[in-house]
Amino acid sequence: MLLDSVQSAFLLLFSFDPELLEIVGVSLKVSFGATLIASFVGIPAGFIVAYSVFPGKRFLLTCLNTLLALPTVVIGLFVYSFISRRGIFGSFDLLYTQKAIIIGQVILIVPVIMTLTIAAVNRIDSRYRVTALTLGANRFQMALVIMKEARYGIFAAVIAAYGRVIAEVGISMMLGGNARGFTRTMTTAMALEYDKGEFVLAVALGITLMTFAFGINMLFHFFQGKTGSDAL
Amino acid sequence: MLYKLERLQRVYGDRIVLDIDFLEIAPNAIYTLIGPNGAGKTSLLKILAFLDKPSSGDLSFSGQPVRFGEKHLHTLRRRVVMLDQTPILFTGTVWKNVEFGLRIRKVPAVQRKRRVEKMLELVGMEKFRDFDSRGLSGGEVKRVALARALVLRPDVLLCDEPTANVDGENQESILHSLEQINREEKTSIIFSTHYLSQGQRLADHTLLLQHGSLSDLAGENIFRVALMPQKDDKTLCRLTEQISLLLPAERVSSCNDSAKLHIDPKLIVLDPDDKDLTHGNYLYGQIMDLAQDRGGIRIGMDAGVRLALTLSVEEYDRRQPVLGQRKLIFIPYDGVVCTSADFF
Repeated sequence: MLLDSVQSAFLLLFSFDPELLEIVGVSLKVSFGATLIASFVGIPAGFIVAYSVFPGKRFLLTCLNTLLALPTVVIGLFVYSFISRRGIFGSFDLLYTQKAIIIGQVILIVPVIMTLTIAAVNRIDSRYRVTALTLGANRFQMALVIMKEARYGIFAAVIAAYGRVIAEVGISMMLGGNARGFTRTMTTAMALEYDKGEFVLAVALGITLMTFAFGINMLFHFFQGKTGSDAL
Repeated sequence: MLYKLERLQRVYGDRIVLDIDFLEIAPNAIYTLIGPNGAGKTSLLKILAFLDKPSSGDLSFSGQPVRFGEKHLHTLRRRVVMLDQTPILFTGTVWKNVEFGLRIRKVPAVQRKRRVEKMLELVGMEKFRDFDSRGLSGGEVKRVALARALVLRPDVLLCDEPTANVDGENQESILHSLEQINREEKTSIIFSTHYLSQGQRLADHTLLLQHGSLSDLAGENIFRVALMPQKDDKTLCRLTEQISLLLPAERVSSCNDSAKLHIDPKLIVLDPDDKDLTHGNYLYGQIMDLAQDRGGIRIGMDAGVRLALTLSVEEYDRRQPVLGQRKLIFIPYDGVVCTSADFF
């Protein structure tokens, strides 16, 4: 049965089935949106945390590390309580929209981007900071220097975050509602097809997702390798 | 005065790494800062570069007290540049590195080009302008870092061991650049070094740091010695055929057979009350000269070798040393620093 499904899945993939393309398109769109917003928040925040000394920093880092393991259904439930009709933001009609998925996914990956940015910045030789300062850089210019030196590590953080959101199912299902052609993503579609006992589309989506995951990992390792070779 | 330091201390945990009672540094001059590893040279340079804050004491720059607020420090840092002992270049080409400080100062492109070209020429790196900074040797990195600092035409250039770990050719190039920039641009230069000869060749003034404190008589009380290990973990340091000091082996462990010894003039005790101290050496010497010296009295003695020591005024009043008198002196182990012969 599996072999039949895989064979049919490949046929589906190479026939560029419109439904499949639509699902892949929605997945890419929401994941990209969430990663972009989370990067704008997570990279500067990670940088500030890495370079600041304040009471409770260690506690914050512990919290961020804990949030890395936060189950997607918990975030789904949390966001749901705010955007459902009776929630504080109910009037915005966000529930079961792509925006809702993006909100949930941003919450999911901001800690990922922050912690990996902190790690990337902390790996940078402290002499870069001192050199920038002694050459007359202000705090912002010094931050740009560090960002430039840590860029591969930061890219790796963004790619890791993208990999996390494109493969998650809990948030997309709970906040998106798996509405066909609208909020149906690769993972929610696979779950649905599995429930229906229709394996062909599920396997085709699985292959597509694995291909993306592989590509993302290749990119991640490329940037990780760059970071490593820079450190030598 | 360019810098004035008063009762300045830098403390890390419970360790005092810098303890300077008083120091004035004149503008437009070259100063060399010598002292063994851990003497506090880098800590002092970082404070002078406004990259570190003293734990206590006063620091003034160009006659103005230094306030350690970020905004004020940023203004001061634009006049003072420090060159690290092992400088690091930013990712990018040699040109981009040298241009960095000018870019952030928003110097117009035409001026930037002219100044960077001139500076790369000064340090002999003009052929490397488009090279990736990561492909340079240690000496080349130092030269580019020097150009990156000098292109800013700072009032003060602070160099932490600029010739350490650099081959002869690069050393000469660096020293030549320092001399030239001081002569032509009137840039004040303070550089630390392990080599007294190098310091004396270039510098107008020499500062000797030991255990975080300045020793007034840099160049004095320095002796080339032969080391002879003895029993009981002691080493005999022979200053002359007749004069030797016995030191614990651990105080000379970093030296080879031929070493240099520096005796801190402040720690030599004249006519000690206790004649049975075990943590040092006793010598007899004749008082050859007496002079007033910055709130104390400097005494020159002939103890088989020429020795200088300083007494506080109170101590001088109590001891009443007289020219020609023969006196016992005590040199504590703590007052002796032994280094490899190529050090001073």
